[in-house]
Formats: sequence, structure tokens, C-alpha cells
Amino acid sequence: MKEKYEAIVIGAGHAGCEASLALARKGHKTLLLTISLDAVAFLACNPSIGGTAKGQLVSEIDALGGQMGIIADKTAIQLRMLNRGRGPAVQSLRAQADKIKYHTEMKKVVESCPNLFLKQAEAEEIIIDGDKKIVRTAVGDEFEAKVLVFATGVYLNSRIIIGKYTEDVGPNGFKNAKKLSGSLTKLGYKLLRFKTGTPARVNARSVNFKELEEQNGDEEIQPFSFITKKKIKNRAKCYLTYTNTKTHEIIQSNLDKAPSLSGEIKGIGPRYCPSIETKIVRFADKDRHQLFLEPESLTTAEIYIQGFSTSMPTSVQEQMIHSVKGLEKAEIMRDSYAIEYDCIDPQQLSLSLESKLHEGLFFAGQINGTSGYEEAAAQGLIAGLNAGLKLEKKEPLILSRGDGYIGVLIDDIVTKGTNEPYRMMTSRAEYRLSLRQDNADLRLTQIGREVGLVDNKRYNVFLKKKNDLEKAISKLNEKLKINEKLINFFIKNEENPPKNSIKVKDAIKRSNIDAKKINEEFGIFAEFSDEIIAELNLIVKFEGYLKQQKEDIEKAKKTEQVKIPNDFDYYKQKGLKIETMQKLSEIKPENLGQASRISGVSPADIAVLPVLIKKHEGEKNERKNKKNV
Amino acid sequence: MNKTIVAISTPLGSGAISIVRLSGIDAFKIACEFFTPLKKQKIIPRKMHLGKFELGENFEKCLMVYFPSPNSYTGEDMVEFHLHGGLVITQLVQSKLLEAGATLAEPGEFTKLAFLNGKLSLDEAEGIIDEINSESEAELRVALSSADGKLKKEIIEKQDLLKNILAEIEVGLDYPEETEFTQLKTSIFDNLTQIKESLDHFILNAEQIKLIKNGVNVAIVGRTNVGKSSLLNALIGEEKAIVADIEGTTRDIVEAKIDYKGVRFNFYDTAGIRDSSDTIEKLGIEKSKRMLNTANLVLIVLDASEKITNEEKSLIKSLKTPHIFVANKSDKKRVLEKQKDEIEVSAKTNKNIDILKKKIFEKVIGENINFNATTVLNERQLEILKQARAQIINVLNSKEDNIEILSLLIKKVWQTLGKITGQTENEDIISLIFSRFCVGK
Repeated sequence: MKEKYEAIVIGAGHAGCEASLALARKGHKTLLLTISLDAVAFLACNPSIGGTAKGQLVSEIDALGGQMGIIADKTAIQLRMLNRGRGPAVQSLRAQADKIKYHTEMKKVVESCPNLFLKQAEAEEIIIDGDKKIVRTAVGDEFEAKVLVFATGVYLNSRIIIGKYTEDVGPNGFKNAKKLSGSLTKLGYKLLRFKTGTPARVNARSVNFKELEEQNGDEEIQPFSFITKKKIKNRAKCYLTYTNTKTHEIIQSNLDKAPSLSGEIKGIGPRYCPSIETKIVRFADKDRHQLFLEPESLTTAEIYIQGFSTSMPTSVQEQMIHSVKGLEKAEIMRDSYAIEYDCIDPQQLSLSLESKLHEGLFFAGQINGTSGYEEAAAQGLIAGLNAGLKLEKKEPLILSRGDGYIGVLIDDIVTKGTNEPYRMMTSRAEYRLSLRQDNADLRLTQIGREVGLVDNKRYNVFLKKKNDLEKAISKLNEKLKINEKLINFFIKNEENPPKNSIKVKDAIKRSNIDAKKINEEFGIFAEFSDEIIAELNLIVKFEGYLKQQKEDIEKAKKTEQVKIPNDFDYYKQKGLKIETMQKLSEIKPENLGQASRISGVSPADIAVLPVLIKKHEGEKNERKNKKNV
Repeated sequence: MNKTIVAISTPLGSGAISIVRLSGIDAFKIACEFFTPLKKQKIIPRKMHLGKFELGENFEKCLMVYFPSPNSYTGEDMVEFHLHGGLVITQLVQSKLLEAGATLAEPGEFTKLAFLNGKLSLDEAEGIIDEINSESEAELRVALSSADGKLKKEIIEKQDLLKNILAEIEVGLDYPEETEFTQLKTSIFDNLTQIKESLDHFILNAEQIKLIKNGVNVAIVGRTNVGKSSLLNALIGEEKAIVADIEGTTRDIVEAKIDYKGVRFNFYDTAGIRDSSDTIEKLGIEKSKRMLNTANLVLIVLDASEKITNEEKSLIKSLKTPHIFVANKSDKKRVLEKQKDEIEVSAKTNKNIDILKKKIFEKVIGENINFNATTVLNERQLEILKQARAQIINVLNSKEDNIEILSLLIKKVWQTLGKITGQTENEDIISLIFSRFCVGK
């Protein structure tokens, strides 16, 4: 007998959890299948959430009503704001998360969520029967739903590699998914083979921390989630150490044993996450590389050695680790390994993350060729949401590049594809200055509310912030009266004092003055929170640039509004180059803006396309009218 | 689309009048920044208005028509300026409109807008596409033909410099824990200054080449009856201007063209500058004055047989355009004081006319102009380079020390130049980050 659900999510990693929560919270009966209940929301690599660009993603997930930020706050054992002082938009929060607690806390949320059913089973085959989608598991059970979300992470046909040793398993020795890749190929999906890796874990008691540089968390902690009220405390330290010439010699003399260099590993690894042997070969002039020692959890002694991922045999790994200062006597608890896995070419997806091949099939996370927990969760949320909207027969939510990093991420992979595991970076966001962590709620919470993801609690927090900010903005045109106090304030801050009374806004614009200082001196924003004052400060300081960017975003939106109809046949069009026709037919961009970002499509093609579309639509209407006559 | 486009809609350089069109949401606003109706009356849609188009110190008297949306050719708000024919004024007007925020129309863009806004029938689509494609191809050909895309190559070099700066900034921003900013800023500003200088060079060269292609405008000015018209005739070797001994015969600007050393020179014989009560002549004088300011070179013709007059002195004083003194009537007894940079000629006997031609050439084109210059820019490329230069100046002037903002501003320059080279892929910068810097866990 087939059990029926409205939606089935395959995989309960970071993408699967967000996808299934979004579906269930929207009221859809959802089955969440996982290959192992112990692998739910598992932090398979770094015990950390956030970082540059990724911190922004977490804030956006949170602003839309996702779960990641809340769990990250709850399980953080150290928090740091990166890039503080370097620029407003590149400041990113990074948390050391307790890996064990992260898994259990997320699992708890999933288990207790109404409409959501978590089950351990390996999905083996997908049968598409019109509107009905059937998932057959390894033990032969069948589950039926109208929509499916694939969030299989790195489990498809995966194998790990340590020197000459290789085994067909998933990360951390979890079982892998052996047959689902085959089923996807049969359905017509083009698969890619990617590779990544994770470093060794050592026992904290064997590390000589005294010799190493401490890395502490921030004194003033800001949470990821806009609704986290509880103060977070730093409860763990990280440490910094380096490789040295001895380490490099060991690696150099063992390069023949490195499967990533010998060709044994065929999967394509990410450039931004190179193994240590790759770093040493490619940057031979560097005499040392930075390594971070990160605690995995408060309830385990395991220490993660960031920057030291390798697929060398264990005997070499041991020599390498022992050559590093502080790790001379390190007891290795888990070996470093490389992992290869199947994923799909994301160009087979539309901007909603729905498959272009099959209606009702959605894909999210590492199966789409991305890397990272945050990238996965962000896609999971959107895929789950859009699967839900599909069930409700509503238009999907497509975030643009100007809306947020999530928009950039999805547009990038879907439009351009990727030839390595895709990682989010702030440099990928052309409207970076506008897409900040601090304003993710102002950008997205209203949208999240409209699509049914934002609950009352979050919405009210958002409304209060919005109202407060508007009120605070209205105070910007108030004047600070010219008097001794004002003059002294300017002098104290090494600014030329004004000759007359000065608008608050103009005072904030002075480089050595900010909204906080003005408030401390004159109490003008006394009724507002620090968060509002900081936001206000940014808005004023970067007013000109933000305005310019807003115009650019609006301009880009105009080109996104030129939709390309589904039945538009590029090969029938006169005036396009064959090469362009091929490219466009392959990707099937949804609008002119997306088309313009496809590599190989020229500005002249983009100039011609609207004319062709208009002609196509016009002729279609003429035909329709004739029929009606 | 939100933008307002501008283009010269009549063939360049020929015809008695030329038309510059604006289309877009700001068309009227931009037009009104420069145009004031003569009688200061309110501008009525679809009515011709006579007025002045401000050109800095001067103005051009012209006709203007405003077509509010949707009753216009493109369906958007449109403004047309009907100007006196001739390239200089027309281009000056266009460049003013560009400075005020209009963008140069893409190939076939006016027609395309008309089509998209339902002003043309569906059958016309193909023609429009052909128009867009053929004009784009023509532009492309220009870019490529400039000595095997040498221009493109040189711009790519500049882009690469910017790309390197961007990669250096971006790696720091995306990998803050693995990098430090050390002495980055000095190299940024040095590099930008260097790029700006190259752009200056490109632009100057392009403008000179444009001059060669479109012709150098030389105005002949002087007191009435010093022999301007005879001089013109001597220069062109035919009787074109009316030559008579009565003061004030030449009331209008007469144009004559000669090709000298491969360069087209357009000569404009202006009406004599003097106070006149004759209205028709007054108009001619006004026009002459305008000509003096827009020409590439002015020949100040003096009578070698007479002393310099106060009128002449004040004319010389007020003249800002590059000029040469021509002491005419060298066949008569010399009375005139020797002028700086002067050539003594006799229009009557043709004495020294060849030397004058040579002098004109050198003064405008320079001796070292490279006629095979590889950097032949089209109007759009020139516009892009100017835009990039303005953006660089903006960064240099901003004294911005926020690295993130600097990156934003520099990226704009990089993207602007990319419109010429086609290299605008952000991925290029990211690739450079990973090839130059060892980052990542």
C-alpha cells in the first residue's frame, strides 16, 4: 500500500530540514526521508555556521522564516563578527556551533513540527506518473506525493578516499545512496561529479594550546536571528597555528601518494577549499599556511583542524599533523578524507528551483552543485516554499539579485551552471552594499509574510523595527542648535564645528561623527535600540551609494519584467546567431535579465530579443483573435 | 525602460538642418535644462517653439518640439531639436544632453521602442531586427578593424589593472582572516591615475581623428573689407564667396571645403564684425560670433596696409579659440604692426597661401599626428571612455578610504570599460582571486 503525502523531501540535511519545515509550516502534509536519523542537520565539515557572505545567507533565511539562524544562535559556542570596520556590507557573523547540539536541536524542531513526518529510509527510485510522484525506498516501501524536493547532499553514489583506501559511503561513514543517481539519470537528468574533503579531528587533551594563539569571540555578541532575544555567551576558544617547512617537506615527498593529485580522484574540487597538498603545490612560495583549531562541541573533545584537509594515507597524515606547532603529540580521532559524489547540473532548474524536465520536482542544496550548509539551507527554504506554492497553485517566489544573496545564489547556478562546488562570496553580489546582514529583515520579512512563512511573532518584531526606523529617520532633519555644547562636541570629535545650527543628518555625515555619538551627547535617539541607531547610521553614511544602487536594482528589475514565454522557440527566430539560439534553448531563461547573464549571449542579442518576443506574442494574439472570429 | 536616449537623427554633416531627438521619461526635463523659448512662453505639446539652446557661454537658436507620451513616435515622451545644419553644433547639443543624463541610443533603438510600444505593425519586426543587427555589426567591425582590435586589447590591459586591484580588495573582504590589507591604497590611486592618463590619451586621439573624419572647422573673421572673402577664394581656389568692395557684403556664413593632406577643412567666412543697424546684417553678425566660439581654428584677417583698430583689438582679446593672424594685402605697403604667430599673405596674388594652409594644418592637427592611428573610436566607444574617465575622476576625488566603497566604485569603471571589450564577467575577478591568493580552508 502506498502512503500518501502532499510532499516528500528526500534528505534531511540543511536543505532538507528547511524545505520540509517550510512545506509543513505552510500546512502541507510532508514526509522527510533521511538515510540516517543520526545524520539530520549534520555539520559534516566545519563546526561553524556563517562567515563572509554565508552569514548574510543565514540572516536572509531567518528573515524569511527559516530555521537555521535560530538553531545557530541556540547552539553557538563562540560568535565573531568578521570584517568589523572594513565596510558595512561585508561584515559577516560567524558562529562556532556545537555540532552535536546543532543536530539534536534541529532534529527536535523537525520531529515536533505538525504536518511533518521524519522517517529513516533510503530513497531508491522515483516513478513519475503524471501528477503523482512515487518514491520507492531500498526496502521496497512506496510513498506518493504531488511534489518532491531532492535534498540529497553529498550522499549520491558517494565514496570517500584516504590514500589508496576508498569506500562507497557517505560523509562520516554514513551509508550512501547507491541507486538514486541511476533513477535520476533514467529520468533524463545530466549528472556532474564533484569532490570535497574534510580535515582530521584530534583529541583536545593532546593539543598543546599553551603554544598557540587564542581566538576569542566578540565581547558584544550579535545573534543571527532577528528574533533571538537571549544573550549568547562565548563558551569556547579557537586557536591559530601554522604549517611549516617541515610540514611542506613531508607533503612534497609524499605527493605521489596523494589521490587528488595522482588522478585517482576524478571529481572536481572547489578552488576555494583546496586540500593542503593542492595549496602547497600551487603556492610553492608560501612557507606557511594558517590552520584554525575549532572545538566540535562542548560535549566532545574532538578538535577540527581547519585548513588541513587532505586525502593522503593516514601514515602521512599523522606525520603532517605532528609537524605542526601545538599538534606534536596530537591523538588523531578521525582521519581526513576526500569525498566524491554525484550532483545534477543546476542549469536543468528554473529560478524557482523546480526542474525544467518535470513539473513538481524541486532540487536544493549540494545536489545542485553548491557547497556549504548555508547555501544548502537557503535553497532548501526556497525549494520547499515553492513546492508548497505549487501545491497551492500559486506563483513561485523568485528572489532577484537585488533582493538578496539567495537571489544571487540561485540565479548564478541556474543561469550559469557551475563547474565546481559553488560557494557564496560577497564578491558575487553586485548590489552588496544593499544586501547587508542588518537589513535582511527589512528586505525580506514582508515577502516571507506574504508567502506564508513568517509567523506573527517574527512579523511583529519586524513591524516594530520598521516603525522605529521610520520614526528615527524622521528625526534626521531635526536641527542641533548651535551652542557651546554642539561646538565642543564637534571639536572633541576632531571635526570643524558648524557656524549655524546643523541638521542631525548632516552631522552624521561627518566622518568622525556617527549616530551613536550624537545620541550619547544629545539623546536624540534615546527611545531607539542600538540596532536602530546603527541602521540609521548606515543609511545616512552611505546614502548616495545606496540610492545609486537602488536605481541600478530598479533598472535590472525592468529587464526581469520582460518575460520570455514558455512556447518561445529560439530556433524559429530570425536575427539570432545559431550559437545564441543553442545557448538560449538550453537554458530557457525566464526573462530578459536572466538571458543577459548567460555567457555567450551578446548585448546585440539582448537588443533583438524583446522585438522577437513582442512579435511572437503579437502573432499568438492574432491567431487567437482569428479563431474567436 | 527608465532611461532617456538621445541621437542625432539626420545624416551627419550634410543638410541645412539637423535634428537631435530625445526619448524617455526624462526627455522633457533634460530638454528644459538647456532650452528656453524666446518669448519665455509655456511649451505646448506638438507645437514648434523658437528658442535658445544654452551651450555654456553661447547658445544656439533652434526649434524645439515636445511630444508627450503616448502620442509620439516611440510612444514615450519625446523632444526634438531642429538645429542649424553642420556637425559642430549638432554634436555639441548632443554632448550637452548626454552630460545631463541622457544615454546614447543603441543601434535602431528609436524604432525598436516604437515597435515595443505598439506603434508599428508586427510585420515591421524583421526590418527592425535587421537594422539592429546590421548597425551592431557595423560597430563591431569598427572595433575589430581598428588594427586587429588593438583598441580592445589596450582597453583590456586597463581592465586587467582594475581587475587586479579588485581581486586584491575582494580577497581581503571575503577572506578577512587569511589576508591583511597592506599598502593597498597607494597602488589603487597610482593605478587609477595611470589608467586615467591612458584614457585621456585615447579620448584626445579619438577626438582628433574625429576631426579628420568630419572635417576641421576654420572660421575666417575680421573687420569688414579686409579681404576675408578673397582670402577664402584664394584658399579654395574658386569664386565662392561674393567679393565686393562695399562694406558688409557677406551677411551669411559661407562654407567651403578643401581637402589638404587627407584632412577635410571646412571654411566659414563670417560676416564682418561691426556695429550695424541693418537687422539682417545683425543676425549675420550674431551668427558669426557663435561660429568663432565653436570653430576648431579662427583665422583673424587683418589689413596689412592699415593700423589695427580698437574693434579688432577687442575681438582678439575676447577670442578663446586657437587662432592664426593673417596679414592680408601684403601686395600693398605694410603699415600694420607685426603680430605674434602671423602670416603675411596676399589673397589677390596668392602669395603665401600655401604656407597658410600648412600652418593651419599644423596648428589644428599637429605635426605628429599618426594617420594610421589604430584607435579609431566610434561615437559610442568614445562616450564609454569618457564615462569611464569621469568615474575614475570620481574615485580619485572622493578620497574614499572605505575599502568596500572603493571596490564598488572601481568595479563600476571596470564594467564601463567592459562595454567596449565585452569582458564583464564577475567570475573573472573571482577566478583571479583563487589563482593569485592561497585562501580557503
